[in-house]
Amino acid sequence: MLFWILCLAVPLVVKAEFILTIFIFGFILGVLAISFNVIFGYAGQLSMFNAAAFGISAYATFLSMERLHVSFWGGLVIALVLVAILSVIIGAICFKFQLKAFYFALVTMAFAELARLVIMNWGSLTKGTLGILVLQKPTLGFGDMAIKIDSTLGWYYFSLAALFLSALVCRGIVKSWIGRAFEAIRLNEDLAQTLGIDIFRYKLLAFTIANLLAGVAGALFAFYTGYIEPSYLSTTQSLDVIAMVLIGGAGTVLGPVFGAFILTGLPHVIELSAEIRSIAFGTILILTILLLPRGVGGSLKMLTIPWWKRLRERRAAGRAA
Amino acid sequence: MLFEAQGVTKRFGGLTAVSNLSFGIEKGEILGIFGPNGSGKTTLLSLISGMLPLTSGTFKWKGEEIVGQKPHRIAAMGIVKTFQNPQLFSELSAFENTAIAGHLTLKRRLGSRRLTGFFRIDRSIEVELAAQVDRVLKLCRLDAVRDQPASALSYGQEKMLGVAMGLMCEPELLLLDEPASGLGSEEIANLEAVLRDLRTRGVTLCIIDHKVGFLGRLSDQALALRNGQLIAIGKPDEVLNHPDVIEAYLGRRHA
Repeated sequence: MLFWILCLAVPLVVKAEFILTIFIFGFILGVLAISFNVIFGYAGQLSMFNAAAFGISAYATFLSMERLHVSFWGGLVIALVLVAILSVIIGAICFKFQLKAFYFALVTMAFAELARLVIMNWGSLTKGTLGILVLQKPTLGFGDMAIKIDSTLGWYYFSLAALFLSALVCRGIVKSWIGRAFEAIRLNEDLAQTLGIDIFRYKLLAFTIANLLAGVAGALFAFYTGYIEPSYLSTTQSLDVIAMVLIGGAGTVLGPVFGAFILTGLPHVIELSAEIRSIAFGTILILTILLLPRGVGGSLKMLTIPWWKRLRERRAAGRAA
Repeated sequence: MLFEAQGVTKRFGGLTAVSNLSFGIEKGEILGIFGPNGSGKTTLLSLISGMLPLTSGTFKWKGEEIVGQKPHRIAAMGIVKTFQNPQLFSELSAFENTAIAGHLTLKRRLGSRRLTGFFRIDRSIEVELAAQVDRVLKLCRLDAVRDQPASALSYGQEKMLGVAMGLMCEPELLLLDEPASGLGSEEIANLEAVLRDLRTRGVTLCIIDHKVGFLGRLSDQALALRNGQLIAIGKPDEVLNHPDVIEAYLGRRHA
């Protein structure tokens, strides 16, 4: 809650466009990190398809706007339907063959690479490696009431809202019976099955939800930066997301968002020459993973629990006395 | 007849693990399945719970064929299996382990509210579920270790927790895979008391074990296997005194 209030208040204090821009990237990539957290942090499946869903949705949103003359929102819906269909097909193949851990990662990575190659070589549609310049901006509202989102402040609140909704969806899933099924599957698949959990269905569900959220992030990213290229779908992009979730803390709702902030913000904070900066950045990432195995979010959670408990115990003791 | 197996056969390549086996389980009874190591006991339970496909034969649950169903469907019908080596969520406490096992029960209780309750589980259902977990833990005499992580439990407690998790699925037929193996005599006595308690509560049990004394005292019906074949079926003392059974356990000289 505190996090959201702080985020709402930041633009009141910070006027520098540069810093707000970092926040916007943090928010959009935060949505991507949340999406990977659903499939990896909760359902325990190492999907390498996140960047592909991110990129496919970016292309599909733009192309349906251009070719089918729909609005940003119409394009986004078409893109998400496409992502959902692909997720169900790819997920069904992987989970029917009971691919686990690295086998699952490898096969999803192959599908992601396949999608990237198709996009790279389908020049007439995607302009291949040249990439696409996106000049349109999303609008909110209808007709004369429509507000175009093109200012930094507009994008700040727009991406913050997207992040908030994603976090809400993630929290909703985690707290529901579905989240418990995910947890059981992550911890012990065989056992989950004998306890009556349909592991195929729940893994497919987790994979689809994760890819849909990644798709939302992809469309936002494309329309914010105004540029789409095949590297959106690259394995490096997937690895970045994994780093965000591991550093932020897998299996907590907001942890991955912290991870996204650290990965987008940190390179700008280190004011050193380019070469030394990469070394410093890498060192910080390695140290975080070594020293905080639960991630930044998870460690913060560990710190706050004893504090609350202590407070409650002290109150109880006071009442007794 | 609650459960029936007819002509059940399972081959792994050239090895016949279970051969043309037929038996039935009546509601409310405890069926003990005896047999030395490698006689096909564990394979039989895996077949019933749908973890392995049958080569031939059929299983009937309340008169209906259930062959070819997936494990989670079979669990949802009321046939739940525990593992020989306790399979637990080791990071979670005994309470949390049992609560996760309540997935099916939770879904049943939520019923059509499942979709509307997507963003939160009704507090009253949450409370009911927690109460049920506590009842099950008490029944399994695990209430003292309720909040300890599963990794901190003794072997006997781990196995009991496996039973508790099975019970959370509200089974009609509970399949227990060597529940007494590796337990001390005190733990076995405890287990026996818990299992008798379950029978009085109407849970039908099918137990496989090679601890003859434990299983003989407990079962109402018994059957004995050797190399996947049925060698005797009937009352426990008759089965255990059957010359073929003695031979299977101790060799030809003693028969």
